[in-house]
Amino acid sequence: MALSTIVSQRKQIKRKAPRGFLKRVFKRKKPQLRLEKSGDLLVRFHPFSGWEWGTGEVHLNCLLFVHRLAEESRTNACESKCRVINKEHVLAAAKVILKKSRG
Amino acid sequence: MADHNPDSDPTPRTLLRRVLDTADPRTPRRPRSARAGARRALLEMASSRRLSGQTRTIARGRSRGARSVGRSAHVQASGHLEEQTPRTLLKNILLTAPESSILMPESVVKPVPAPEVVQPSRRESSCGSLELQLPELEPPTTLAPGLLAPGRRKQRLRLSMFQQGVDQGLSLSQEPQGNADASSLTRSLNLTFATPLQPQSVQRPGLARRPPARRAVDVGAFLRDLRDTSLAPPNIVLEDTQPFSQPTVGSPDVYHSLPCMPHTGAEDAEQATGRKTQSSGPGLQNNSPGKPAQFLAGVAEEVDAFALSFLSTSSGVSGEDEIEPLHDGVEEAEKKMEKEGVSVSEMEATGAQGPSRVEEAKGHTDVTEAEGSQGTAEAEGPRASSGDEDACGREASPESASSTPESLQARRHHQFLEPAPMPGAAVLSSEPAEPLLVRHPLRPRTTGPRPRQDPHKAGLSHYVKLFSFYAKMPMERKALEMVEKCLDKYFQHLCDDLEVFAAHAGRKTVKPEDLELLMRRQGLVTDQVSLHVLVERHLPLEYRQLLIPCAYGGNSVFPAQ
Repeated sequence: MALSTIVSQRKQIKRKAPRGFLKRVFKRKKPQLRLEKSGDLLVRFHPFSGWEWGTGEVHLNCLLFVHRLAEESRTNACESKCRVINKEHVLAAAKVILKKSRG
Repeated sequence: MADHNPDSDPTPRTLLRRVLDTADPRTPRRPRSARAGARRALLEMASSRRLSGQTRTIARGRSRGARSVGRSAHVQASGHLEEQTPRTLLKNILLTAPESSILMPESVVKPVPAPEVVQPSRRESSCGSLELQLPELEPPTTLAPGLLAPGRRKQRLRLSMFQQGVDQGLSLSQEPQGNADASSLTRSLNLTFATPLQPQSVQRPGLARRPPARRAVDVGAFLRDLRDTSLAPPNIVLEDTQPFSQPTVGSPDVYHSLPCMPHTGAEDAEQATGRKTQSSGPGLQNNSPGKPAQFLAGVAEEVDAFALSFLSTSSGVSGEDEIEPLHDGVEEAEKKMEKEGVSVSEMEATGAQGPSRVEEAKGHTDVTEAEGSQGTAEAEGPRASSGDEDACGREASPESASSTPESLQARRHHQFLEPAPMPGAAVLSSEPAEPLLVRHPLRPRTTGPRPRQDPHKAGLSHYVKLFSFYAKMPMERKALEMVEKCLDKYFQHLCDDLEVFAAHAGRKTVKPEDLELLMRRQGLVTDQVSLHVLVERHLPLEYRQLLIPCAYGGNSVFPAQ
């Protein structure tokens, strides 16, 4: 499923959450913690049940972060009237968005 | 073309001309309106029918329906000369079709442009149209249409039918022929979608000589394809093929192209097997310029192979249908096959006719190969050229197969030819090209520090790609690296926050509530926007089902709360 076939290699984006990556990162940073698995699957009806549990929301968070970052850098680039997103745009955008995401 | 017929004479030709003159050069490729759609449907239907040889009814129906539609919308004529626009096609039709050949209801003209624009498989239709076009041209051009007919007949029913129609039309001279004429005319009209034929004048169809212009390759491809199907006697073919062949080559090309076409056809099958083989093949020699172009087209995949073919073709082309040059070219090509880029460049350098074709083919190859081949990149739509190439390839194969393989490394050449001219070459080439392309960039990649950076980077790259996707703007590489750094920082922050939240809740496991709290603090989740809404917006369905509790039958909720 979530993996859209990369047909054109351009606008096709994989939608699958890199579970392994997320778990690995989390483990590395906080080995003492655990990512929950939504283990209370009393009712297993879903064919995909064993597939993406604890990291779905983390992935969502990352998606939203990246999305905001992209929007911000795009705004920056447009403001400076550049057709290409530059490093400075991204840098400035990152500052803002990271600050916002601190929680 | 001069508007010979007065407007009072509502022949399809005049109508067509009027349309062409009046229509603006814009290319309204998009479905303009229901009318256009209707028209298109009509035309497409007609075009499909014509293949079956039922142009008569189609033409009539089309003419009726299309007439009203077509008249109103001249838009069909698109200014794209690069592609087979209705305008160009119509122009070709006008140029090539004999004035007096057929008296058709005016409507016929209109429907023609519509389908062309929309035709999704323009290439095929154009190929088919070209094929049909050729026979059309032949009768008017050749003095002995009868000769052509038999030759053509074996290859295509349509052609023969058309020829009959044309013959009738010619003989009848202005007599409103029965359906046959009309159908044939319509057929011809319909068929001439992609033919870049530009006969000198309507009155002298026999002199129709089409400057190759941009369509050179396409034409050649089609021509080859046509040849493929029928090995028409070269003499007769000369005139017809001429329009399709490169201007430089002129009749000789046509001559050769014809044989090439059948060659390509046969070769296609073999092509699949031995694409890589460098077999400039006897076909090259035999088919002369026609084939070379075809080969060029088909050989997109293999640079060497292409180079060889190209060389041969180009040399052949320049040689003006001399087998010798072809032969030499082929040999040279063979030698050069080893050199990847050289061969490709060779193609470009050589050949009068070949260059245009070669370039086109090369453009295709370039696209596919993405090698150093001279950036002819006639990026005129590699796909389009591939389509043409395929036709050429097809033509070449049968030709080579049929014609006795030259003494030249016949086997090698033949194989080489096969891969090149394959009709599916374009498709095949594209496919192999992609893997080739993929492979090439992959190979030079160095296996960096395996340990932790790679998987880490791999995961990050996923999000970086998402970033560039969301940004919808071109980005610099440094910017992407910057994004990676940001993501790194972000992940660190994320883990810290989650840890704090979990600890705050007295847990050692991070639960979704922690994440929700985090998102709320981040401002992503508000009172108006709940987490579920975000999940629905951004995550694919499968994840959504996992995250959002939903009630199912049997009094159960999944995921359980």
